[in-house]
Amino acid sequence: MSAATRVPLPEASSGSRRPFRPGLLQLEPPRLLGSRCSACGTATFPARAFCPHCRATTGIDGVALTPDGHVHSFTVVRQAPAGVDVPYVLAQIDLGDGVRVLAQVVGAEPERIALGAPVSLELAPVADAAGQPDGQLVGYRFRVDQEMTT
Amino acid sequence: MTLAPAHVAGAGMIRFGKYPVDVTLESMGVDAGRAALADAGATLTTVDALYVGHVFGGPVAGQRIAAQLGLDGKPVSNHENYCASGATAVREAWVALAAGLHDVVLVIGVEKMTDRISGGVRPDPNDLDAAVGYVMAAGHAMSARRYMADHGATREQIAAVAVKNHAHSVHNPFAQYQKPISLDQVLSARPIAEPLGLLDCSPISDGAAAVVLCSPAGLRRLGIDAAVPKVLGAALVSGSVLTGTGDLNAEDVSRRAGEQAWELSGVGPDDVDLVEMHDCFTIAEIVRMEGLGLVPVGQGAAWTADGHTALGGRLPVNPSGGLLSRGHPVGATGVAQVCELTWQLRGTAGGRQVDGARIGLAYCKGGTVNGTDGGSVTTVVMAS
Repeated sequence: MSAATRVPLPEASSGSRRPFRPGLLQLEPPRLLGSRCSACGTATFPARAFCPHCRATTGIDGVALTPDGHVHSFTVVRQAPAGVDVPYVLAQIDLGDGVRVLAQVVGAEPERIALGAPVSLELAPVADAAGQPDGQLVGYRFRVDQEMTT
Repeated sequence: MTLAPAHVAGAGMIRFGKYPVDVTLESMGVDAGRAALADAGATLTTVDALYVGHVFGGPVAGQRIAAQLGLDGKPVSNHENYCASGATAVREAWVALAAGLHDVVLVIGVEKMTDRISGGVRPDPNDLDAAVGYVMAAGHAMSARRYMADHGATREQIAAVAVKNHAHSVHNPFAQYQKPISLDQVLSARPIAEPLGLLDCSPISDGAAAVVLCSPAGLRRLGIDAAVPKVLGAALVSGSVLTGTGDLNAEDVSRRAGEQAWELSGVGPDDVDLVEMHDCFTIAEIVRMEGLGLVPVGQGAAWTADGHTALGGRLPVNPSGGLLSRGHPVGATGVAQVCELTWQLRGTAGGRQVDGARIGLAYCKGGTVNGTDGGSVTTVVMAS
Protein backbone atom coordinates (compact mmCIF):
# COMPACT_ATOMS: atom_id res chain seq x y z
CA MET A 1 0.00 0.00 0.00
CA SER A 2 1.51 3.31 -0.98
CA ALA A 3 1.26 6.40 1.20
CA ALA A 4 -1.09 8.01 -1.31
CA THR A 5 -3.68 5.28 -0.88
CA ARG A 6 -3.73 5.31 2.92
CA VAL A 7 -6.91 6.45 4.61
CA PRO A 8 -6.91 8.05 8.05
CA LEU A 9 -9.42 5.65 9.58
CA PRO A 10 -10.54 2.14 8.69
CA GLU A 11 -13.70 2.01 6.67
CA ALA A 12 -16.81 1.16 8.58
CA SER A 13 -17.24 -2.55 8.96
CA SER A 14 -18.93 -3.96 5.92
CA GLY A 15 -19.92 -7.08 7.76
CA SER A 16 -17.73 -9.14 5.47
CA ARG A 17 -14.56 -11.03 6.14
CA ARG A 18 -11.37 -9.10 5.55
CA PRO A 19 -7.61 -9.57 6.14
CA PHE A 20 -6.56 -8.60 9.67
CA ARG A 21 -3.98 -6.29 8.15
CA PRO A 22 -4.56 -4.61 4.79
CA GLY A 23 -2.42 -5.92 1.96
CA LEU A 24 -1.18 -8.95 3.87
CA LEU A 25 -3.27 -11.64 2.21
CA GLN A 26 -6.10 -12.26 -0.20
CA LEU A 27 -9.05 -14.46 0.70
CA GLU A 28 -10.14 -15.97 -2.65
CA PRO A 29 -8.19 -18.00 -3.31
CA PRO A 30 -6.17 -17.85 -0.08
CA ARG A 31 -2.75 -16.40 -0.84
CA LEU A 32 -0.13 -14.43 1.06
CA LEU A 33 0.66 -11.17 -0.74
CA GLY A 34 4.32 -10.33 -1.12
CA SER A 35 6.36 -8.21 -3.46
CA ARG A 36 8.89 -9.02 -6.15
CA CYS A 37 11.67 -6.87 -7.53
CA SER A 38 11.48 -6.68 -11.32
CA ALA A 39 15.21 -5.89 -11.46
CA CYS A 40 16.68 -8.78 -9.47
CA GLY A 41 13.69 -11.07 -8.95
CA THR A 42 13.91 -11.14 -5.16
CA ALA A 43 10.56 -11.87 -3.51
CA THR A 44 9.63 -10.86 0.04
CA PHE A 45 6.79 -11.27 2.49
CA PRO A 46 5.19 -9.08 3.64
CA ALA A 47 5.33 -6.73 0.67
CA ARG A 48 7.88 -3.93 0.99
CA ALA A 49 8.26 -0.70 -0.95
CA PHE A 50 11.93 -1.47 -1.61
CA CYS A 51 13.95 -4.49 -2.62
CA PRO A 52 15.92 -5.75 0.39
CA HIS A 53 18.44 -7.39 -1.95
CA CYS A 54 19.30 -4.70 -4.54
CA ARG A 55 17.66 -1.72 -2.76
CA ALA A 56 15.60 -0.73 -5.79
CA THR A 57 12.63 1.49 -4.96
CA THR A 58 10.95 1.31 -8.34
CA GLY A 59 9.72 -1.69 -10.25
CA ILE A 60 8.50 -3.43 -7.10
CA ASP A 61 5.44 -5.49 -8.02
CA GLY A 62 2.84 -7.09 -5.82
CA VAL A 63 2.74 -10.87 -6.05
CA ALA A 64 0.47 -13.60 -4.71
CA LEU A 65 2.80 -16.21 -3.22
CA THR A 66 2.44 -19.93 -3.69
CA PRO A 67 0.36 -21.50 -0.91
CA ASP A 68 2.59 -24.56 -0.67
CA GLY A 69 5.77 -24.95 1.31
CA HIS A 70 7.62 -27.05 3.85
CA VAL A 71 8.69 -26.77 7.47
CA HIS A 72 12.24 -25.43 7.77
CA SER A 73 12.14 -25.43 11.58
CA PHE A 74 9.46 -25.45 14.25
CA THR A 75 8.78 -25.37 17.96
CA VAL A 76 5.93 -26.25 20.28
CA VAL A 77 5.22 -23.19 22.37
CA ARG A 78 4.30 -24.37 25.88
CA GLN A 79 4.47 -21.05 27.72
CA ALA A 80 3.34 -17.65 26.48
CA PRO A 81 2.32 -14.31 27.98
CA ALA A 82 -1.04 -14.08 29.71
CA GLY A 83 -4.06 -14.41 27.44
CA VAL A 84 -2.36 -16.64 24.86
CA ASP A 85 -3.56 -20.25 24.75
CA VAL A 86 -0.85 -22.91 24.64
CA PRO A 87 0.38 -25.21 23.28
CA TYR A 88 0.68 -24.26 19.64
CA VAL A 89 3.15 -25.04 16.89
CA LEU A 90 5.12 -22.14 15.43
CA ALA A 91 7.27 -22.74 12.36
CA GLN A 92 9.48 -21.20 9.74
CA ILE A 93 7.84 -22.18 6.45
CA ASP A 94 9.81 -22.11 3.20
CA LEU A 95 7.46 -21.39 0.31
CA GLY A 96 8.10 -22.55 -3.21
CA ASP A 97 8.79 -18.94 -4.19
CA GLY A 98 11.95 -18.93 -2.09
CA VAL A 99 10.30 -16.90 0.66
CA ARG A 100 10.46 -17.85 4.35
CA VAL A 101 7.36 -17.11 6.44
CA LEU A 102 6.79 -17.38 10.18
CA ALA A 103 3.40 -18.93 10.95
CA GLN A 104 1.52 -21.36 13.12
CA VAL A 105 1.02 -24.91 11.90
CA VAL A 106 -2.03 -27.08 12.56
CA GLY A 107 -3.32 -30.43 11.42
CA ALA A 108 -1.02 -32.82 13.24
CA GLU A 109 0.06 -33.64 16.75
CA PRO A 110 3.32 -31.81 17.49
CA GLU A 111 5.26 -35.07 17.66
CA ARG A 112 4.12 -35.91 14.13
CA ILE A 113 5.58 -32.73 12.67
CA ALA A 114 9.09 -33.02 11.29
CA LEU A 115 11.62 -30.87 9.50
CA GLY A 116 10.75 -30.84 5.84
CA ALA A 117 7.08 -31.64 6.35
CA PRO A 118 4.94 -30.33 3.45
CA VAL A 119 2.34 -27.75 4.45
CA SER A 120 -0.33 -25.65 2.76
CA LEU A 121 -1.70 -22.21 3.49
CA GLU A 122 -5.14 -21.83 5.01
CA LEU A 123 -7.16 -18.95 6.40
CA ALA A 124 -7.75 -18.63 10.14
CA PRO A 125 -9.89 -16.37 12.29
CA VAL A 126 -8.02 -13.60 14.11
CA ALA A 127 -8.99 -11.97 17.38
CA ASP A 128 -10.07 -8.34 17.19
CA ALA A 129 -8.77 -5.56 19.42
CA ALA A 130 -10.95 -6.85 22.25
CA GLY A 131 -9.24 -10.22 22.01
CA GLN A 132 -12.20 -12.11 20.59
CA PRO A 133 -12.55 -13.62 17.12
CA ASP A 134 -15.34 -11.61 15.49
CA GLY A 135 -15.64 -13.80 12.43
CA GLN A 136 -14.58 -10.95 10.16
CA LEU A 137 -10.86 -10.51 10.67
CA VAL A 138 -8.96 -13.19 8.80
CA GLY A 139 -5.37 -14.27 9.23
CA TYR A 140 -3.33 -17.21 8.02
CA ARG A 141 -1.69 -20.39 9.17
CA PHE A 142 -0.41 -23.57 7.55
CA ARG A 143 -1.83 -27.08 7.69
CA VAL A 144 0.28 -30.19 7.49
CA ASP A 145 -0.51 -31.96 4.24
CA GLN A 146 -2.69 -35.02 4.64
CA GLU A 147 -0.18 -37.63 3.58
CA MET A 148 1.97 -36.69 6.55
CA THR A 149 -0.70 -37.60 9.05
CA THR A 150 -1.78 -40.94 7.64
CA MET B 1 37.80 4.52 11.99
CA THR B 2 38.60 4.62 15.68
CA LEU B 3 37.60 7.08 18.39
CA ALA B 4 39.40 7.85 21.63
CA PRO B 5 38.71 5.22 24.31
CA ALA B 6 36.45 5.84 27.30
CA HIS B 7 38.16 5.11 30.59
CA VAL B 8 36.11 3.18 33.15
CA ALA B 9 36.72 5.03 36.41
CA GLY B 10 34.10 3.15 38.39
CA ALA B 11 31.67 0.25 38.22
CA GLY B 12 28.84 -0.80 40.49
CA MET B 13 25.65 -2.81 40.48
CA ILE B 14 23.05 -4.31 42.72
CA ARG B 15 22.43 -8.02 42.87
CA PHE B 16 20.00 -9.04 40.14
CA GLY B 17 16.89 -10.91 41.21
CA LYS B 18 13.25 -10.56 42.13
CA TYR B 19 12.67 -7.57 44.38
CA PRO B 20 9.50 -6.50 46.24
CA VAL B 21 7.20 -3.94 44.67
CA ASP B 22 8.52 -1.19 46.93
CA VAL B 23 12.02 -1.59 45.47
CA THR B 24 11.40 0.69 42.53
CA LEU B 25 13.11 1.18 39.22
CA GLU B 26 14.26 4.56 40.47
CA SER B 27 15.70 3.24 43.74
CA MET B 28 17.58 0.45 41.97
CA GLY B 29 19.04 2.92 39.48
CA VAL B 30 20.08 5.23 42.30
CA ASP B 31 21.75 2.40 44.23
CA ALA B 32 23.76 1.24 41.23
CA GLY B 33 24.66 4.81 40.30
CA ARG B 34 25.90 5.58 43.81
CA ALA B 35 27.95 2.37 43.83
CA ALA B 36 29.67 3.31 40.57
CA LEU B 37 30.30 6.89 41.71
CA ALA B 38 31.78 5.64 44.99
CA ASP B 39 33.96 3.14 43.15
CA ALA B 40 35.28 6.01 41.00
CA GLY B 41 35.71 8.38 43.91
CA ALA B 42 33.43 10.78 42.06
CA THR B 43 31.14 13.32 43.69
CA LEU B 44 27.88 14.52 42.19
CA THR B 45 29.40 17.81 41.09
CA THR B 46 32.09 16.08 39.03
CA VAL B 47 29.55 14.38 36.73
CA ASP B 48 28.72 16.10 33.44
CA ALA B 49 25.84 13.96 32.16
CA LEU B 50 23.73 10.85 32.77
CA TYR B 51 22.93 8.15 30.18
CA VAL B 52 20.22 5.65 31.12
CA GLY B 53 19.27 2.43 29.33
CA HIS B 54 15.87 0.83 30.03
CA VAL B 55 12.94 -0.68 28.15
CA PHE B 56 9.93 -0.79 30.46
CA GLY B 57 10.76 2.18 32.70
CA GLY B 58 8.36 4.60 31.03
CA PRO B 59 8.93 8.16 29.84
CA VAL B 60 11.88 10.05 31.36
CA ALA B 61 12.84 7.26 33.76
CA GLY B 62 16.39 8.57 33.60
CA GLN B 63 15.29 12.00 34.78
CA ARG B 64 13.30 10.39 37.62
CA ILE B 65 16.48 8.61 38.68
CA ALA B 66 18.55 11.80 38.29
CA ALA B 67 16.17 13.71 40.55
CA GLN B 68 16.65 11.11 43.31
CA LEU B 69 20.36 10.67 42.74
CA GLY B 70 21.24 14.36 42.73
CA LEU B 71 22.09 14.71 39.05
CA ASP B 72 19.01 16.80 38.28
CA GLY B 73 19.63 19.63 35.86
CA LYS B 74 22.33 17.74 33.96
CA PRO B 75 21.93 16.43 30.41
CA VAL B 76 20.00 13.17 30.86
CA SER B 77 19.08 10.87 27.98
CA ASN B 78 17.07 7.65 27.83
CA HIS B 79 18.13 4.84 25.50
CA GLU B 80 15.88 2.01 24.30
CA ASN B 81 17.17 -0.82 22.10
CA TYR B 82 15.37 -3.61 23.95
CA CYS B 83 17.92 -5.97 25.53
CA ALA B 84 20.77 -3.89 24.09
CA SER B 85 19.51 -0.69 25.75
CA GLY B 86 22.20 -0.53 28.44
CA ALA B 87 24.97 -1.19 25.96
CA THR B 88 23.52 1.43 23.63
CA ALA B 89 23.70 3.95 26.48
CA VAL B 90 27.37 2.99 26.95
CA ARG B 91 27.98 3.54 23.25
CA GLU B 92 26.38 6.98 23.21
CA ALA B 93 28.35 7.99 26.32
CA TRP B 94 31.58 6.82 24.67
CA VAL B 95 30.78 8.86 21.55
CA ALA B 96 30.07 11.99 23.61
CA LEU B 97 33.36 11.63 25.50
CA ALA B 98 35.29 11.08 22.28
CA ALA B 99 33.61 14.12 20.75
CA GLY B 100 34.78 16.25 23.66
CA LEU B 101 31.25 17.10 24.75
CA HIS B 102 31.71 15.67 28.26
CA ASP B 103 34.59 14.45 30.44
CA VAL B 104 32.85 12.50 33.22
CA VAL B 105 29.58 10.69 32.59
CA LEU B 106 27.51 8.20 34.53
CA VAL B 107 25.81 5.36 32.63
CA ILE B 108 23.03 3.41 34.32
CA GLY B 109 21.20 0.37 32.98
CA VAL B 110 18.08 -0.49 34.92
CA GLU B 111 14.93 -2.59 34.67
CA LYS B 112 12.04 -3.53 36.93
CA MET B 113 10.37 -6.52 35.30
CA THR B 114 8.92 -8.86 37.90
CA ASP B 115 5.96 -6.60 38.66
CA ARG B 116 4.95 -6.17 35.01
CA ILE B 117 6.19 -9.07 32.86
CA SER B 118 5.04 -12.68 33.08
CA GLY B 119 5.26 -15.65 30.74
CA GLY B 120 8.14 -14.21 28.75
CA VAL B 121 8.73 -11.25 26.48
CA ARG B 122 7.52 -10.79 22.92
CA PRO B 123 7.81 -8.23 20.14
CA ASP B 124 5.82 -5.01 20.00
CA PRO B 125 2.18 -5.74 19.10
CA ASN B 126 2.58 -3.80 15.84
CA ASP B 127 5.19 -6.28 14.65
CA LEU B 128 3.80 -9.01 12.40
CA ASP B 129 5.68 -11.71 14.32
CA ALA B 130 3.69 -10.87 17.45
CA ALA B 131 0.46 -11.27 15.50
CA VAL B 132 1.27 -14.87 14.60
CA GLY B 133 2.25 -15.89 18.13
CA TYR B 134 5.99 -15.28 18.24
CA VAL B 135 7.63 -15.20 21.65
CA MET B 136 11.37 -14.86 22.13
CA ALA B 137 11.75 -18.43 23.37
CA ALA B 138 10.10 -19.74 20.19
CA GLY B 139 12.63 -18.09 17.92
CA HIS B 140 15.54 -19.61 19.82
CA ALA B 141 13.82 -22.99 19.95
CA MET B 142 13.55 -23.03 16.16
CA SER B 143 17.21 -21.99 16.02
CA ALA B 144 18.17 -24.88 18.31
CA ARG B 145 16.19 -27.49 16.38
CA ARG B 146 17.75 -26.40 13.10
CA TYR B 147 21.24 -26.20 14.64
CA MET B 148 21.00 -29.78 15.88
CA ALA B 149 19.80 -31.01 12.48
CA ASP B 150 22.42 -29.09 10.49
CA HIS B 151 25.47 -29.72 12.68
CA GLY B 152 24.75 -32.99 14.44
CA ALA B 153 24.79 -31.24 17.80
CA THR B 154 22.98 -32.85 20.72
CA ARG B 155 20.41 -31.52 23.13
CA GLU B 156 22.89 -32.26 25.91
CA GLN B 157 25.60 -30.12 24.31
CA ILE B 158 23.22 -27.16 24.09
CA ALA B 159 22.10 -27.66 27.70
CA ALA B 160 25.76 -27.58 28.74
CA VAL B 161 25.68 -23.79 28.26
CA ALA B 162 23.32 -23.47 31.24
CA VAL B 163 25.35 -25.85 33.39
CA LYS B 164 28.55 -23.89 32.64
CA ASN B 165 27.10 -20.46 33.26
CA HIS B 166 25.42 -21.47 36.52
CA ALA B 167 28.73 -22.96 37.68
CA HIS B 168 30.43 -19.64 36.97
CA SER B 169 27.97 -17.50 38.92
CA VAL B 170 28.54 -19.50 42.10
CA HIS B 171 31.41 -17.01 42.42
CA ASN B 172 29.41 -13.88 41.49
CA PRO B 173 27.82 -12.09 44.47
CA PHE B 174 25.71 -9.97 42.07
CA ALA B 175 24.12 -12.97 40.32
CA GLN B 176 20.46 -13.85 40.72
CA TYR B 177 21.39 -17.55 40.96
CA GLN B 178 24.52 -18.64 42.82
CA LYS B 179 24.08 -22.41 42.92
CA PRO B 180 25.35 -25.00 40.43
CA ILE B 181 22.83 -26.98 38.38
CA SER B 182 23.19 -30.40 36.79
CA LEU B 183 22.80 -31.40 33.17
CA ASP B 184 19.89 -33.61 34.17
CA GLN B 185 18.14 -30.63 35.77
CA VAL B 186 18.36 -28.69 32.51
CA LEU B 187 17.15 -31.64 30.42
CA SER B 188 14.23 -32.47 32.69
CA ALA B 189 13.04 -28.91 33.30
CA ARG B 190 9.53 -27.90 32.28
CA PRO B 191 9.35 -27.39 28.49
CA ILE B 192 8.91 -23.76 27.41
CA ALA B 193 9.35 -23.94 23.63
CA GLU B 194 10.56 -27.34 22.51
CA PRO B 195 13.33 -28.34 22.50
CA LEU B 196 14.12 -25.63 25.08
CA GLY B 197 13.06 -25.90 28.70
CA LEU B 198 12.91 -23.53 31.63
CA LEU B 199 16.64 -23.71 32.41
CA ASP B 200 17.54 -22.92 28.79
CA CYS B 201 15.88 -19.52 29.32
CA SER B 202 17.19 -16.47 31.15
CA PRO B 203 14.89 -15.39 33.99
CA ILE B 204 12.68 -12.34 34.28
CA SER B 205 14.64 -10.13 36.65
CA ASP B 206 14.96 -6.80 38.41
CA GLY B 207 18.27 -5.01 38.68
CA ALA B 208 20.57 -2.13 37.87
CA ALA B 209 24.21 -1.60 36.96
CA ALA B 210 26.29 1.52 36.40
CA VAL B 211 29.68 2.70 35.23
CA VAL B 212 31.53 6.03 35.34
CA LEU B 213 33.17 6.71 31.98
CA CYS B 214 35.83 9.41 31.57
CA SER B 215 38.02 11.18 29.07
CA PRO B 216 41.67 11.68 30.09
CA ALA B 217 40.65 15.11 31.41
CA GLY B 218 37.87 13.42 33.37
CA LEU B 219 40.33 11.03 35.00
CA ARG B 220 42.41 14.04 36.08
CA ARG B 221 39.27 15.70 37.45
CA LEU B 222 38.65 12.61 39.58
CA GLY B 223 42.31 12.47 40.69
CA ILE B 224 42.89 9.09 39.06
CA ASP B 225 46.53 8.65 38.05
CA ALA B 226 46.76 4.88 37.52
CA ALA B 227 45.65 3.17 34.32
CA VAL B 228 42.08 1.88 34.43
CA PRO B 229 40.20 -0.44 32.06
CA LYS B 230 38.92 1.32 28.99
CA VAL B 231 36.22 0.95 26.36
CA LEU B 232 38.09 0.83 23.05
CA GLY B 233 34.95 0.83 20.96
CA ALA B 234 31.24 0.09 21.09
CA ALA B 235 29.62 -1.12 17.87
CA LEU B 236 25.94 -1.01 16.99
CA VAL B 237 24.17 -2.71 14.10
CA SER B 238 20.57 -3.60 13.39
CA GLY B 239 19.02 -6.64 11.81
CA SER B 240 18.66 -6.59 8.05
CA VAL B 241 15.71 -7.85 6.00
CA LEU B 242 16.36 -11.45 5.07
CA THR B 243 15.71 -12.83 1.62
CA GLY B 244 15.66 -16.38 0.40
CA THR B 245 15.68 -19.57 2.44
CA GLY B 246 19.24 -19.77 3.72
CA ASP B 247 20.74 -20.91 7.01
CA LEU B 248 18.44 -19.99 9.90
CA ASN B 249 21.56 -19.66 12.07
CA ALA B 250 23.63 -17.65 9.59
CA GLU B 251 24.00 -14.92 12.27
CA ASP B 252 24.93 -12.31 9.70
CA VAL B 253 23.89 -9.64 12.20
CA SER B 254 26.49 -11.00 14.66
CA ARG B 255 29.11 -11.16 11.94
CA ARG B 256 28.51 -7.51 11.11
CA ALA B 257 28.59 -6.51 14.79
CA GLY B 258 31.90 -8.30 15.17
CA GLU B 259 33.47 -6.74 12.11
CA GLN B 260 32.43 -3.28 13.29
CA ALA B 261 33.85 -4.02 16.75
CA TRP B 262 37.24 -4.98 15.35
CA GLU B 263 37.26 -1.89 13.13
CA LEU B 264 36.31 0.49 15.97
CA SER B 265 38.62 -1.02 18.57
CA GLY B 266 41.67 -1.91 16.53
CA VAL B 267 41.84 -5.39 18.07
CA GLY B 268 41.10 -8.65 16.31
CA PRO B 269 39.17 -11.77 17.27
CA ASP B 270 42.38 -13.61 18.17
CA ASP B 271 43.14 -10.95 20.81
CA VAL B 272 39.99 -11.61 22.89
CA ASP B 273 40.64 -13.25 26.28
CA LEU B 274 37.03 -13.49 27.49
CA VAL B 275 33.49 -12.77 26.33
CA GLU B 276 30.37 -11.61 28.12
CA MET B 277 27.80 -13.04 25.69
CA HIS B 278 24.07 -12.38 25.50
CA ASP B 279 22.92 -15.89 26.45
CA CYS B 280 19.24 -15.04 26.76
CA PHE B 281 18.80 -18.70 25.78
CA THR B 282 21.39 -21.49 25.78
CA ILE B 283 21.47 -21.87 21.99
CA ALA B 284 21.93 -18.12 21.56
CA GLU B 285 25.37 -18.19 23.21
CA ILE B 286 26.46 -20.89 20.76
CA VAL B 287 25.29 -19.38 17.48
CA ARG B 288 26.30 -15.82 18.40
CA MET B 289 29.85 -16.87 19.29
CA GLU B 290 29.99 -18.55 15.90
CA GLY B 291 28.54 -15.49 14.18
CA LEU B 292 31.22 -13.28 15.71
CA GLY B 293 33.85 -15.62 14.33
CA LEU B 294 35.15 -16.53 17.80
CA VAL B 295 34.12 -20.19 17.51
CA PRO B 296 34.12 -22.24 14.27
CA VAL B 297 30.66 -22.54 12.71
CA GLY B 298 28.90 -25.71 13.82
CA GLN B 299 31.33 -26.41 16.67
CA GLY B 300 29.95 -24.14 19.39
CA ALA B 301 27.86 -26.81 21.07
CA ALA B 302 30.74 -29.28 21.14
CA TRP B 303 33.10 -26.56 22.37
CA THR B 304 30.76 -25.88 25.26
CA ALA B 305 30.35 -29.54 26.22
CA ASP B 306 34.13 -29.98 26.03
CA GLY B 307 34.76 -27.07 28.40
CA HIS B 308 36.49 -24.76 25.94
CA THR B 309 34.19 -21.86 26.89
CA ALA B 310 34.34 -22.49 30.66
CA LEU B 311 36.62 -20.76 33.14
CA GLY B 312 40.05 -22.24 32.51
CA GLY B 313 39.13 -23.13 28.92
CA ARG B 314 40.62 -21.70 25.76
CA LEU B 315 38.06 -18.84 25.55
CA PRO B 316 35.97 -18.34 28.71
CA VAL B 317 32.43 -17.13 27.95
CA ASN B 318 30.25 -15.56 30.64
CA PRO B 319 32.41 -15.87 33.74
CA SER B 320 29.72 -13.72 35.40
CA GLY B 321 27.12 -16.44 34.85
CA GLY B 322 25.67 -14.60 31.88
CA LEU B 323 22.01 -13.77 31.48
CA LEU B 324 21.03 -17.34 32.30
CA SER B 325 22.39 -17.14 35.83
CA ARG B 326 23.30 -13.53 36.67
CA GLY B 327 19.73 -12.68 35.61
CA HIS B 328 18.38 -10.53 32.80
CA PRO B 329 16.78 -7.22 33.74
CA VAL B 330 16.83 -6.31 30.08
CA GLY B 331 17.92 -2.65 30.15
CA ALA B 332 20.54 -3.35 32.82
CA THR B 333 22.27 -6.28 31.14
CA GLY B 334 24.60 -4.37 28.80
CA VAL B 335 25.93 -2.22 31.62
CA ALA B 336 26.32 -5.24 33.90
CA GLN B 337 28.47 -6.83 31.19
CA VAL B 338 30.71 -3.74 31.19
CA CYS B 339 30.92 -3.93 35.00
CA GLU B 340 32.00 -7.57 34.74
CA LEU B 341 34.63 -6.83 32.09
CA THR B 342 35.91 -3.95 34.24
CA TRP B 343 36.39 -6.23 37.24
CA GLN B 344 37.92 -8.96 35.07
CA LEU B 345 40.37 -6.51 33.47
CA ARG B 346 41.28 -5.09 36.89
CA GLY B 347 41.94 -8.65 38.04
CA THR B 348 39.49 -8.32 40.92
CA ALA B 349 36.83 -10.85 39.88
CA GLY B 350 37.69 -13.30 42.67
CA GLY B 351 36.70 -16.92 42.15
CA ARG B 352 35.48 -16.24 38.62
CA GLN B 353 38.62 -14.38 37.51
CA VAL B 354 39.89 -15.19 34.01
CA ASP B 355 43.65 -15.50 34.41
CA GLY B 356 45.58 -12.87 32.51
CA ALA B 357 42.51 -11.12 31.10
CA ARG B 358 43.61 -8.17 28.97
CA ILE B 359 40.97 -7.87 26.23
CA GLY B 360 37.26 -8.54 26.70
CA LEU B 361 34.22 -8.34 24.47
CA ALA B 362 30.60 -7.86 25.55
CA TYR B 363 27.75 -8.69 23.16
CA CYS B 364 24.07 -7.76 23.50
CA LYS B 365 21.18 -8.47 21.17
CA GLY B 366 17.97 -6.57 21.64
CA GLY B 367 14.58 -7.37 20.20
CA THR B 368 13.27 -8.85 16.98
CA VAL B 369 11.71 -7.32 13.89
CA ASN B 370 9.62 -9.39 11.49
CA GLY B 371 11.53 -10.55 8.44
CA THR B 372 14.95 -9.52 9.76
CA ASP B 373 17.75 -11.25 11.65
CA GLY B 374 17.23 -9.15 14.76
CA GLY B 375 16.53 -5.78 16.33
CA SER B 376 19.79 -4.33 17.61
CA VAL B 377 23.19 -5.84 18.34
CA THR B 378 25.97 -4.16 20.30
CA THR B 379 29.56 -5.23 20.77
CA VAL B 380 31.72 -3.45 23.36
CA VAL B 381 35.46 -4.11 23.28
CA MET B 382 37.44 -3.32 26.42
CA ALA B 383 41.13 -3.49 27.34
CA SER B 384 43.00 -3.43 30.65
